Amino acid sequence: MKIAPAPGEIRDVRAEPNLATECDFCVVGSGAGGSMAAAVLAQAGARVVVVEEGGHYTRKDFNMQEAWAYPALYQEKGNRATEDLAITVLQGRAVGGGTTVNWTSSFRTPDRTFALWASRHGVVGLDSATLAPHFAAVEERLSIREGNPDDVNANNRKLLEGARKLGWQPELIRRSVKGCARLGYCGMGCPIDAKQSAAITYLPDALAAGAVVFTNARAKLVESDRGRATGVVCEVKDAPGAAPMAAAPAARRFVVYARRGVVLAGGAINTPALLQRSKIGSRSVVGRRTFLHPTVPLLALYDEPIEGFYGAPQSVACHHFADRGDRVGYFLETAPLHPMLSAVAFPGFGEGHQRMMARLAHAQATIALLIDGHHDDEGGRVTADIDGRIRLSYPLAPVLREAAADAIKNMARLQLAAGAREVMTLHEDAVVIRSEADLAKLDGVVFGPNRHALFSAHQMGGCRMGEDPKRAVVNSRGRHHEIQNLWVVDGSVFPTALGVNPQLSIYAHARLFAQAIAAAG
Amino acid sequence: MKYAAVVERRTGSGRIRTTAPYTPSQSRALSPARLRQLSRRSLLKKGFAGGAILLLGGSLATFLRGGGRGRNPRQPLRLLTAKEYGIFAAVAARVCPRQPEAVGWPSPDNLDCAGKVDQLLAELHPQVGTEFRRLLHVFENGLNGLFSVGQPGTFTAASPEDQDRRLEAWRHSRVALFRSGYQAMKRLAVATYYSSPETYALVSYPGPPGVPLVKAP
Repeated sequence: MKIAPAPGEIRDVRAEPNLATECDFCVVGSGAGGSMAAAVLAQAGARVVVVEEGGHYTRKDFNMQEAWAYPALYQEKGNRATEDLAITVLQGRAVGGGTTVNWTSSFRTPDRTFALWASRHGVVGLDSATLAPHFAAVEERLSIREGNPDDVNANNRKLLEGARKLGWQPELIRRSVKGCARLGYCGMGCPIDAKQSAAITYLPDALAAGAVVFTNARAKLVESDRGRATGVVCEVKDAPGAAPMAAAPAARRFVVYARRGVVLAGGAINTPALLQRSKIGSRSVVGRRTFLHPTVPLLALYDEPIEGFYGAPQSVACHHFADRGDRVGYFLETAPLHPMLSAVAFPGFGEGHQRMMARLAHAQATIALLIDGHHDDEGGRVTADIDGRIRLSYPLAPVLREAAADAIKNMARLQLAAGAREVMTLHEDAVVIRSEADLAKLDGVVFGPNRHALFSAHQMGGCRMGEDPKRAVVNSRGRHHEIQNLWVVDGSVFPTALGVNPQLSIYAHARLFAQAIAAAG
Repeated sequence: MKYAAVVERRTGSGRIRTTAPYTPSQSRALSPARLRQLSRRSLLKKGFAGGAILLLGGSLATFLRGGGRGRNPRQPLRLLTAKEYGIFAAVAARVCPRQPEAVGWPSPDNLDCAGKVDQLLAELHPQVGTEFRRLLHVFENGLNGLFSVGQPGTFTAASPEDQDRRLEAWRHSRVALFRSGYQAMKRLAVATYYSSPETYALVSYPGPPGVPLVKAP
């Protein structure tokens, strides 16, 4: 049974089983890339259907409770990780995608990253000047303004003060907010819609132009015929409390027939997995070079309360170590310290773990995000099983371990400079630093799987762009090398990690790519 | 039959050697060569650890004594069996603040951490649930106790001190798979515990602030 939804609708497919629908373009995913593509294409007059595997939640649902937010708003109910569990992967899954749960940090793609893509990865015609109007348009739509010193909470102030004392030139982060109350819960959905997520900006733009969004529809296969994409087959996610869909022998299907093309924006990890399931492209390229900005946290304890669970989660960054020449660079930011996320990261168990948790209000977390893919590291690999399971392997290359070791030493210096009583690595054998003299203790620290906490909140790559079909999945405008009416417009196209928080780059690239799609007719 | 702890050490070439004696039947199942052949995940995926240890353990009733009993689910289980529920609850009881020492802190049983984990895992991919259940059986098994800390008997039947030693053994194991297994259990235990509002005040977290009644402009 085919349905013809009214333009501008957000529909939950669970209420209407066994459906199919038609459109010009089917967009998979409603995050930064998908919502942007949907808006541009719909405004160009195309009939657009967006399929989103997550649910549709609004500010009234965002109760700021970790027990609700992570299962509801994150991939694998907050349990996504590399397959050895060494890196916890925080990735959004809801209408708005990652922008519903990100921490609002907004940076343009660095020039050195564009230059690297051009020189080593065969990317053509992408640079700061080309993207400038797209960055500007997104910044205007998302109310991204100069960094606001009033946004700086105690957690971020320690990073600001420590970096200033050491001459490391910290900067205020530009944030995608309007009327922010600095509650501190960006990662659990903004309860007052101050965060300008895709769900309240570009997706409404798309809806206003006639697009339709189907939620709880997980894209399983891209259908193609004689070199052309013809549609997307989705599985209908079961209602809460029901048996998981993959356990059901005949999961309900929802089919979107796309006359003009298919646009993929499921995010790094899910987009390469979808292509693999669809047997589009070679596995020697699709899913390879997945990058995570592997994130090393360092904990500092202060005499005064920090209350890292309140206030804008990220308002200060330090890129002093982003370019270390032939060694892997990294940049410093902070992470909010809510109880559940902290408990998962803190080492040990039992009494020792409890003692650390009891000091939570006095804890400050500085994080180092390793800029992977710029050197000899090949990143990780995504593989999709036919039964729907996605696996991510990510061996921490020696060059990244060196960067992690360097980063914790410099973060410790910074935290001591900011007045920390005690600095602690989040290794299972935690190293405690109380003075500069103790820094030598960090010389022998080992980085290996599950010997310390590692996170990723930035997933990139897996469908890298470039002009060489043997090395790249899509060209420099996101068009698939084999299937001419299939495009990828999410962070999976980046040939390396960006070196900055990715949301603004994804929006801007998606805008450029979507305009090219619309122009191609 | 003589049993002794299998001590693993990494040689200069990165190979794992066992230095303590073990029985012929164990040598077939847990030989260094066999261990080297298995990737970290295939160990669980292929059920080697679970299958081989359970097979051996199954012939030795002493290693299966206890069996995770003693804690009853509060609500119908969706994924775990009652035994598996009991194993995880026993793990959580050592990982989370411990009773009766942690005065004023709720126990993970009070917060039904095992029940919450059952509900969560039931909605993930079925293979994830299968692997986690297998992990619980391996951790519970008497041979794991024997190999990891030199004490036979199941985890749930062990003394609290012995239970801690088993957790420590996996936490610091040279075998990456065991470290992964420890992290899986620990993270689920503390995540369900500390996301419970009953624990907020104990970590000086006042909870979510009041939200302005009006939408941001």
